[in-house]
Amino acid sequence: MGIHSVGTSDAALVRRVHAGDTGAYADLVARYRDRLGRYALHMLGNREDAEEVLQDSFVRAYRSLARCDDPERFGAWLYGILVNRCRTAGARAARRARRFVHDPVALETAPLAGPDGRTEWDDMVRWALARLPSESREAFLLKHVEELEYEDMARLTGAGVSALKMRVKRAREQLQAMLKEAERV
Amino acid sequence: MFDQSEDAVERLARHLRRAVRINPALDERVMRAITALPAPGRTTWLGEVWRWLKRPHQLTLTPLGGLAAAAAVAVVVVLTRMDSRPPAPPEEDSRAFQFALVAPHATRVSLVGDFNDWDATRTPMRQTGTEALWTVVVPLVPGRYHYAFFVDDSRWLADPSAPVARDEDYGAPSSVLTVGGGGS
Repeated sequence: MGIHSVGTSDAALVRRVHAGDTGAYADLVARYRDRLGRYALHMLGNREDAEEVLQDSFVRAYRSLARCDDPERFGAWLYGILVNRCRTAGARAARRARRFVHDPVALETAPLAGPDGRTEWDDMVRWALARLPSESREAFLLKHVEELEYEDMARLTGAGVSALKMRVKRAREQLQAMLKEAERV
Repeated sequence: MFDQSEDAVERLARHLRRAVRINPALDERVMRAITALPAPGRTTWLGEVWRWLKRPHQLTLTPLGGLAAAAAVAVVVVLTRMDSRPPAPPEEDSRAFQFALVAPHATRVSLVGDFNDWDATRTPMRQTGTEALWTVVVPLVPGRYHYAFFVDDSRWLADPSAPVARDEDYGAPSSVLTVGGGGS
């Protein structure tokens, strides 16, 4: 699987948490924080939502740690929780967006405001990613950014391998078209 | 803007694969949140047995041992059936509600609401009878629920056959369903 741990095994840390050493959980959080944060950030498009979802995922994982059947695969199990939380947060964000944006044309053409120092390419990447349907974005990120195998993606998302391949293919095509279009402007 | 020799999508993926730094203060927030929680399920002996049963095991049986095991299983099955009762309902006081939406042009419809944390993946609706009708049955305990239909991963629709609720959170269209505690 493409979700691995390094150093002290996840299983050892999970066992310590089960034995009452809450501090061992801090090691697991530190181990997976940036890796999972990257997925959440790209999936949700902003740091605030990503950190909120990440924190929620870690807390939920702790609460359900007894249900992690294979502590060696804690990372994959945690990833599954994050993917689901991102879906929920994405759906909520879509609802929230409708409250503030009433003009779909303006939405399509609005430039993304970003902090200083972000390059035009950064903005273009975020713009293109944000325009993908959430399922395609999820599949594309898991395949090409998190570099998971399709079988692992299927386990995480609950979708079939062929459906995931189709989503990744469509995402690639859409991104290609968007980047071309952006290059022409 | 691009190096023509490199596929733009590959370049985008490579850009996204760059390490992301999340504020380490998040660790502290997580740890603060979990100290308020009970310890995560100290494993009981029953839990251990259940986990052991769920793991794959390889058993080697002699013919005689196999017969004895089969007999033991048969006895357990017979005893269990003698004491069989109807299965308990999923949750006390829950009642099944069918939600339906006519959406002839939709390719995917989900039911979202307070009962599934507004998670569009948890309650997909199925096309029933004609392709225009999407339905799903959900058990609900007494309470007041806001809900909506999420169509083609992009549109939120209130239930046209139910009272419209003003959504305090987002102002998006949603409907309200009140499930009473009585027998009606």
